[in-house]
Amino acid sequence: MMKFRRFLFLGGAFFLLLVKFAVDVIRMNVELEMGGLMFLRELAAAGAFLLIFLALQATISSRTVNPVRRLGFLLVFVITLLLASILLNFLPAGGFDAKELVLLPLDYATLFLASLLGLIAGTFSLIILRFLKDLIFVSRKKGTLRNFRIFIALMFAAAISSLFFRPLESSSITYVLYALAIVMAFVNAFRMPWIVYLTKREKILTLVFSFFLFVLFVGVNTFLSQNDILSRGLAYYSRPIQECISLSLWFGGIFSGMAFVSTLFHLPTAEAFDRKRSEVASIHTLSKLVTQVFDFKELTETVTSMTMQVVEARSCWLELLPSEDESGGVHEPDDNLSGQTQIVGLKNITRAEIEDLLGSGLRYLRTTVFREGKPVVIDAVAKDPRFAGGPKGVHRPGSLVIVPLVSHVGPLGFLYATKETEYGFVKDDVELISTFADQATIAIENSRLINKSIERERLVREMTLAQEMQRKLLPQRLPSIPGLDMDAISTPAFEVGGDYYDFVRLSDHLIGIIVGDVSGKGVPAAFYMSEVKGIFQSLSGLYSSPRDFMVRANTVLMESIDKHSFVSLIYGILDTRTGRFQIARAGHCPMLHICESTSSYLRPDGMGLGLAGHALFQGSIEEQTLELSPGDVCVLYTDGVTEAHQGEEEFGYERLRVAAGLANGTPAAQVKENILQAVDDFLEKGTPHDDMTLVVVRWLGTPGQL
Amino acid sequence: MSEFTIAQRERESVQVLDLRGYLDAHTAPKLEEVFQALLKSQRYNIIINCKDLSYISSAGLGVFMAYIEDVRKNKGDIKLSNMSSKVYNVFDLLGFPLLYEITKDEQEAYNKFTGMLK
Repeated sequence: MMKFRRFLFLGGAFFLLLVKFAVDVIRMNVELEMGGLMFLRELAAAGAFLLIFLALQATISSRTVNPVRRLGFLLVFVITLLLASILLNFLPAGGFDAKELVLLPLDYATLFLASLLGLIAGTFSLIILRFLKDLIFVSRKKGTLRNFRIFIALMFAAAISSLFFRPLESSSITYVLYALAIVMAFVNAFRMPWIVYLTKREKILTLVFSFFLFVLFVGVNTFLSQNDILSRGLAYYSRPIQECISLSLWFGGIFSGMAFVSTLFHLPTAEAFDRKRSEVASIHTLSKLVTQVFDFKELTETVTSMTMQVVEARSCWLELLPSEDESGGVHEPDDNLSGQTQIVGLKNITRAEIEDLLGSGLRYLRTTVFREGKPVVIDAVAKDPRFAGGPKGVHRPGSLVIVPLVSHVGPLGFLYATKETEYGFVKDDVELISTFADQATIAIENSRLINKSIERERLVREMTLAQEMQRKLLPQRLPSIPGLDMDAISTPAFEVGGDYYDFVRLSDHLIGIIVGDVSGKGVPAAFYMSEVKGIFQSLSGLYSSPRDFMVRANTVLMESIDKHSFVSLIYGILDTRTGRFQIARAGHCPMLHICESTSSYLRPDGMGLGLAGHALFQGSIEEQTLELSPGDVCVLYTDGVTEAHQGEEEFGYERLRVAAGLANGTPAAQVKENILQAVDDFLEKGTPHDDMTLVVVRWLGTPGQL
Repeated sequence: MSEFTIAQRERESVQVLDLRGYLDAHTAPKLEEVFQALLKSQRYNIIINCKDLSYISSAGLGVFMAYIEDVRKNKGDIKLSNMSSKVYNVFDLLGFPLLYEITKDEQEAYNKFTGMLK
């Protein structure tokens, strides 16, 4: 469709030019009066150029305008126009017969020359105007279009005014309009802010282009107006079109002249501007980096490659200190930073070269940077006494800068950059690298935090699992035994703990009750707790005496338990027929025995399990036997109950004894509740407690006699 | 929350550690460090003065268990003195008096060391 339209436009233009040419041929042979036919001739020319303009409009896109490239195109067109004019100048033509200020070609060659020149110069002027418009509109503002339109309007006005005069007649009104148009050309050419944003290379190109453009525009314009045959040819062709061509060339000359001067002024600052622009661009990219935290390697690579780019460094790398959880604490400034640092994001340098630098003096230097938290620049590495050490013959950089990465929790590491030249880092460079280092710090810290929280989430999940598994190691429900009323509870301080309680039915009337506590807390304690359960489940059936069980359990446990861990146990075997309760205690809290009118602690001798070998342990442990009365209550517990403390004060044995009350028929569940309530009341709200276990046993009397 | 400090004194060939505050799972590593340093410098005669020790947990007791073997192998000992009744009760409950010499005051423990040395 576009192609067809262009074809139509060009066809129409060709037809109109043919009409004009026909009039000119007739005029050569027949004496004509200035009048209707002459007007038709001008109209045909104007129409033809309008159609050519429309065809141009359909060809040239002004969507993305690269000013420098447009200037280059412009140069090509102007050179072509100049060459065409020079060639036409050499055409063997007879010239014009000028009488009464009216021009008439003497031969057909002259007519042909004038027609071709008019067509070429007119078309090129249109193209030039079109290109100039795009260039002016690169940095379009409110008045830009208006100013351009005024110029075009003045140009047309000058052209139309010339219609009313003979080709060689001079008219003051045309001159005035012409002059005004030139003033407007200056106004239009004034807006060239795009030059500021060109890179240094583009500015140099613009300078060269605009210089030649200026020379060529002035040259072509002078040539077309001073050369006799050409100037007369154009005047004969069409006075208005001649005015338009001339004004277009003026406009081009003025514009390129202004562009040249403007570029010239901006050239000295071009480098600084380039640098600032690339700074802004890279900081923008770097700030996006902060969100790009999942790939740590990529992050460090980006940081160093961008640092390289912006300060034009020869090499760059990052040295990271181990993160907090790896090293076990924030670094003190007097750390010697030996060993564990991590060198990443190496750009244009090998590990060996870094090692050489570190070995020669950098290691000491960065400690200073670390302590002071400020960048250090070495202007001349070769002449610096601090770098005197190390092997000779290894390539050393000319200058070097070290910038610390300091986060709010402390130093994270260092960013290094080197240059080949001495005194390579100016103040701006150091500031820029510092800005980079700050951004990099945030990104690295975020990345580490995210990884840490992922890790933490995994741990939480595993601990929840461990908790569930440990809960299954404790009795799922209380055994229901005739003649016994029991209740129990165990609450770990953390997800998992070292407390243990269990029941085992040794025969139809013997029940074993055990409560234990592994030293320490958390996961290690939980592991031993499961081992204790294994021991209890396998050994309790073999021994009818709690003491014998303890002695054997100690021997088994001694084999596996580590030196600083131990287990305290209290184990009783209750005969539900007689109320006979045999008890052995291995380092555990004494048992509370509650009768109808009194309550007291039972504390047979015995050391904790896992503390001493067979002989010593066996000698320490004794067994006691209680004869319970029906209704008596026994409370077994872990030290989490008695040692629950509020400040300096512990809950203690006396509070426990009071809270448990007397054996007055209170059910076991209620006794348990009363004790828990008392501990709760004793502790202020929110006080953390230790692992806490409570087992309450009430002997109701011989079954069958109730 | 729970403050714990260790002051170290030297009485001729005997090292005295003055413990103060709460010795529990959180603070036990501090004591372990001191023990490690003592063993490294081959000082095996150690008195633990518990005068200002206000609380000891099972993890705290574990520290003594961890080093007693090495100390005794080198003909030294860990003796404890000046315990409050509360702290003694914890030691006693677990049967520690069977494993360690626990004296009323530091001088008594010191005399036992020097007597042994003579």
